Amino acid sequence: MKSKSNLLPESKVSLATSYLIRQLPTVTAIIDNEANFVAVSDKWADFFSSEPKDFSSKSIHDIFGNAEIELKELLNHCIAEQKECHHIVQLNLRDKLFIRLISKPWFDESENPIGILVNLEDISKQISLEEKNKKLYHLLDETAEISKVGMWEFDLETNNLSWSKMTKKIHEVAEDYTPEVNTAINFYKEGHSRNTVSMRFQKALDKGEPFSDRLQILTAKGRELWIRNAGKPIYKDGKLIKIIGTFQDVDEQVRSEMKIRENEKLLESIIDNLPLNVYVKDKDSKKIMVNKSECEYLGVKHKSQLIGKDDFDIYPKEIAQISREEDVEVIKHQKPVIGRETKSVKKDGVETTFLTSKIPLTGIYGNAIGIIGISMDISTLKKKEAELKDLINVTALQNKKLSNFAHIVSHNLRSHSANFAMLLNFLVDEKDESEKERITKMLVNASQNLMSTLEDLNEVVDVNANVNLDKEKIDLNEKLAKVKQDLATFLNENRAKIINKVPKGTKVFAVHAYLESVLLNLLTNAVKYQHPDRTPEITLRIETGASHTILLVQDNGLGIDLEKNGNNLFGMYKTFHNNKDARGMGLYITKNQMEAMGGNITAESEVGIGTIFKVYFNEN
Amino acid sequence: MKTRIDSIYIVDDDPITVFGIKKVLYDVVECDNVASFENGKEALDALLLQLEQGKEIPDIIFLDINMPVMDGWTFMEEFHKLEINKPIRINIVTSSIDPADHERWLYYRKKSMHFVDYKNKPIFKLTAQDIDYISKAS
Repeated sequence: MKSKSNLLPESKVSLATSYLIRQLPTVTAIIDNEANFVAVSDKWADFFSSEPKDFSSKSIHDIFGNAEIELKELLNHCIAEQKECHHIVQLNLRDKLFIRLISKPWFDESENPIGILVNLEDISKQISLEEKNKKLYHLLDETAEISKVGMWEFDLETNNLSWSKMTKKIHEVAEDYTPEVNTAINFYKEGHSRNTVSMRFQKALDKGEPFSDRLQILTAKGRELWIRNAGKPIYKDGKLIKIIGTFQDVDEQVRSEMKIRENEKLLESIIDNLPLNVYVKDKDSKKIMVNKSECEYLGVKHKSQLIGKDDFDIYPKEIAQISREEDVEVIKHQKPVIGRETKSVKKDGVETTFLTSKIPLTGIYGNAIGIIGISMDISTLKKKEAELKDLINVTALQNKKLSNFAHIVSHNLRSHSANFAMLLNFLVDEKDESEKERITKMLVNASQNLMSTLEDLNEVVDVNANVNLDKEKIDLNEKLAKVKQDLATFLNENRAKIINKVPKGTKVFAVHAYLESVLLNLLTNAVKYQHPDRTPEITLRIETGASHTILLVQDNGLGIDLEKNGNNLFGMYKTFHNNKDARGMGLYITKNQMEAMGGNITAESEVGIGTIFKVYFNEN
Repeated sequence: MKTRIDSIYIVDDDPITVFGIKKVLYDVVECDNVASFENGKEALDALLLQLEQGKEIPDIIFLDINMPVMDGWTFMEEFHKLEINKPIRINIVTSSIDPADHERWLYYRKKSMHFVDYKNKPIFKLTAQDIDYISKAS
């Protein structure tokens, strides 16, 4: 310590002063007018990592090196002007340091400047912070420019509202525009936007509530613009001092969002209102989208009831399995199935015919992610088609019958007219009176034959013309009893035996008159064509078919060779036995009557054994 | 000049037609043996009996198509199964205008060793050509 006190010449600085300076809590040095050190504080020495004595007989320029020239000027200036000067110098000491150098002239008792008091402050941190700040501001500006985010700030103390450059740009006002709360709010579109922003701002002021809203403004140039305005209260010592906020141009975003939503809505309402069942399934055949028709078809109220479900949850197992296999095919081969006719059965058993298309659904990278299914309910069409087919069949049958009948009519009428023509031709040329009489008799015969033929034809027409028949449930046994009674004499004369095995209460769906006629014909035939070696025995039985009740009439008569005559058995004017009163009308009429009632009649026979007629009554 | 013929069959279930054929027949032929049958079966049975007894079979057959028990076509089928070594003239006489019947006639006309003719009723008259069985059949 003693040596340190020897640093400065006694003449200039007293020992006491020197000691005082050493203890200063600042980095301080005293230099003379030639810039040589007179005294330094311990802090000064520490700052340069030296001892105070190291500075004796040294100039301040020895320390500041490269800053020497500036420093000289500064010091000269300080001495000349005799006032405090500030200077920032860069010092290559440990790191690069920024130093604020404060120099003050130093006077003796007679107010003569005898040196300079130099104070150092390390301001490196401050400088680097400032630079960082500058950078940040720059960055912020850039960001604002790119993202169109502006800023604003409302100072509660000064009632001052300020806008950043970008905020002004968004409002389309000049850079020197000065906003106020009222004018700022008036930029908002009248109604919802303006009301909202006023309310939000007020609440932020009153209750310190932050906010963020997407609203519409009208810019200074009258453009409608979507913006997002957000605000946040700032507190200091528990007191609200300002509200700062961001102001962003989100017009493009909102408009494209609205466009997308509009398109989505359009697509959704189209899909929903299509009279087709539309669904989208994922790779596991689980539904990820369904439309209204699909919901209605499956009897659910909300789409959510179907989402995430697969066909096994909805349909019986077999149907679901078929559908799943189709899905897998489509996904595997990435090939759509278009317009395939499928039959679907719901769990409640309702059957529907669909025209189904399944289209592979791919992701944006072309990968399979599921299928789109479109099904059209064609049950009604199918039904119509079936009805049409039935109608065509019926028409074809009718046509055939009609053409048959036309032939019969033309043939029979022709044969009679031919006879008339021939006989009349003979009569004209005949001279012999007795021969004339003979021919006349034959003409009368021919006329009677024609009449009876016409009656036959009439009967056939009657049966076929009755389109609207009143069919009713008729007790078969009651009807049989009546017919048996009508035929009583005939049956008795022939000693015919009827074995009735028709169960009591059996009813058939038929027309009264036709049923009677059919039974009468069959029983009469069975007796008429009896076998000469035995008395007639007729057995009546019932068989029940799917939609028919079948009456079996079995006799033990002559039988008929069906291989030869099968085609003609039910034909008009077809007779097969030498029976004088057989006219070939009975079975023809019977068949027509059964067909008119929607039924049918068939026969099985063996010559010499007997015949079984099967009469089919349609129960529908 | 009337042609002399030994035996003629008329197969028709309609007595008026039988009467008519006979009447016009006697205008052109002299025949002591004209037999009529009500259906094909009766005619066939008579033919079989004739063949069995070695008697003369007819030279001309008038044949109806629509008849009970056995119709004209079935008779034709059975007739062609018989062993007959002389040509016979078969005159089909029918009121049928069904094209199917016409077709069947054409079939027999081509196929048969006999002469098969087809006439629609009414028959007013017969000419020598209608009964010329020898030249037509050979």
